[in-house]
Amino acid sequence: MGQAKHYSSLVLQRLALLAVVAVVWWYAAGRMPSFVLPGPQKVFAALTSLLHSETFLHDVGATMGRVFSGFFLAVLVGTPLGLALGTSRMLALFFEPLLAVFNTVSSAIWAIFAIIWFGISDATTVFVVFMTAMPLILTNVWQGAQTVERQYVELAQSFRMSRLQILLKISLPSILPHFFAGARLAFGFGWRVSLVAETLGASDGIGYRLRQAADLVQSDQVFAWTVLLVALMLLLEAGVLKPLERWLFRWKTHSL
Amino acid sequence: MNAALNIELAPLAFSARGLNKRFDRLQVLSDISLDVAQGEIVAVLGTSGCGKSTLLNILSGLLPTDHGSLSIEGVPAERFHDWQAIAYMFQEDRLLPWRSVQENIAFGLEASSLGKSRRAQRVAQVLELVGLVPFAKAWPHQLSGGMRSRVALARSLVVEPRILLMDEPFSKLDPSTRGQMHDELLRLHALTGMTVVFVTHDVEEAVVLADRVVILDPRPGRVRAVKSLTLPRPRIPTDPAVTEHVRQLRLEV
Repeated sequence: MGQAKHYSSLVLQRLALLAVVAVVWWYAAGRMPSFVLPGPQKVFAALTSLLHSETFLHDVGATMGRVFSGFFLAVLVGTPLGLALGTSRMLALFFEPLLAVFNTVSSAIWAIFAIIWFGISDATTVFVVFMTAMPLILTNVWQGAQTVERQYVELAQSFRMSRLQILLKISLPSILPHFFAGARLAFGFGWRVSLVAETLGASDGIGYRLRQAADLVQSDQVFAWTVLLVALMLLLEAGVLKPLERWLFRWKTHSL
Repeated sequence: MNAALNIELAPLAFSARGLNKRFDRLQVLSDISLDVAQGEIVAVLGTSGCGKSTLLNILSGLLPTDHGSLSIEGVPAERFHDWQAIAYMFQEDRLLPWRSVQENIAFGLEASSLGKSRRAQRVAQVLELVGLVPFAKAWPHQLSGGMRSRVALARSLVVEPRILLMDEPFSKLDPSTRGQMHDELLRLHALTGMTVVFVTHDVEEAVVLADRVVILDPRPGRVRAVKSLTLPRPRIPTDPAVTEHVRQLRLEV
């Protein structure tokens, strides 16, 4: 009962916030030229025409495809590397400076390199997403691997488990929360930098459309895409990530 | 050495001769000789730092001895292969927080060659045996210390060990819960006839549980005395005969 009440008050708060933003937006838009700040109605109209345009699904699909490819490659490469660094102090000490370099190089620089190396192609965006996401996943898995409890490993050894069994039954479950946090961060960053990469090195996709709209000073289009992206990310968060997290880490919650 | 003579006819779970262990320059165990009969409950008693845990690790095969010989069930430790027959219970319960009670118990079987349905059957049996059926699906963080200890015991027993080694397994529990776990252990011992070797610094625990008590001297650990306890069971800690034994044994440690 109390929880339902809490929930409904939260919904009310969110709706109120949305209304405040809409009113401020509408008021400000009324006093400015629409190419600087298009009003809500104009953006809404742009959004509907966008949703009905022929290339819409193709563009969203192209961007998603690149983000997911780059992200999965990052997981595929970053996880075993993180595990390796986490298990061997020697490897970790040796490679640590390299990781610092990776973390400081801006995504825009990767994008420029990508254009030099791959030109206008899918590979450019995939590469930028990969270079951004991979160090994040690697670092988190590495940190996670260092938190694996010696006690649990000894327990497995007392049952005469093999190294592979210890990896699967003790190390991976211990690392999973760190991996999840890293993957989430990496996906968020990857998603954002993909747009930057697409404005420079693609001939379709959301980033490309954004630049096109900017070139033609179609501010309402830019706003429409922004609203759409925010909605997509919120949907992903609430529809996939949150439930997945709740299920994966159900042993931490105090239900039952 | 009289005790050793008495049990010589029975098959031995452990027979150790002149075990030595040193870590770097520190001599931890010195010339330990010890026989344990099958089905016996033996307490290894000593102050902290006397090498009790090291001795237990050597008996479990997790740690090699520097020199000396050890045979397990009549087979030299180097050629002994049936390690699944020896269960090891740690001082902490070491339950995996991401596994439910029944999954934690099943962990004990996951290195064995048993089929899936046989494993599930064993887990169900052990849950029943230690009275954890209503908590099968609970997470470790939802359990009290005594319950967690019970799960750890169940995880050791699920492999149906012939030998159970315990490293101060109940030392972290409050006195009344510890007493319950003692009763539980004795009940399961009577049921299975397994050999139990446990390490403790608690004299009362040794008197309540053990058939024989091995007293270790510290630094380096060596056997000072071996006492047989012939007190009738059940041994109640408040019983005058028990408290008298505890008093006498305390003088020796």
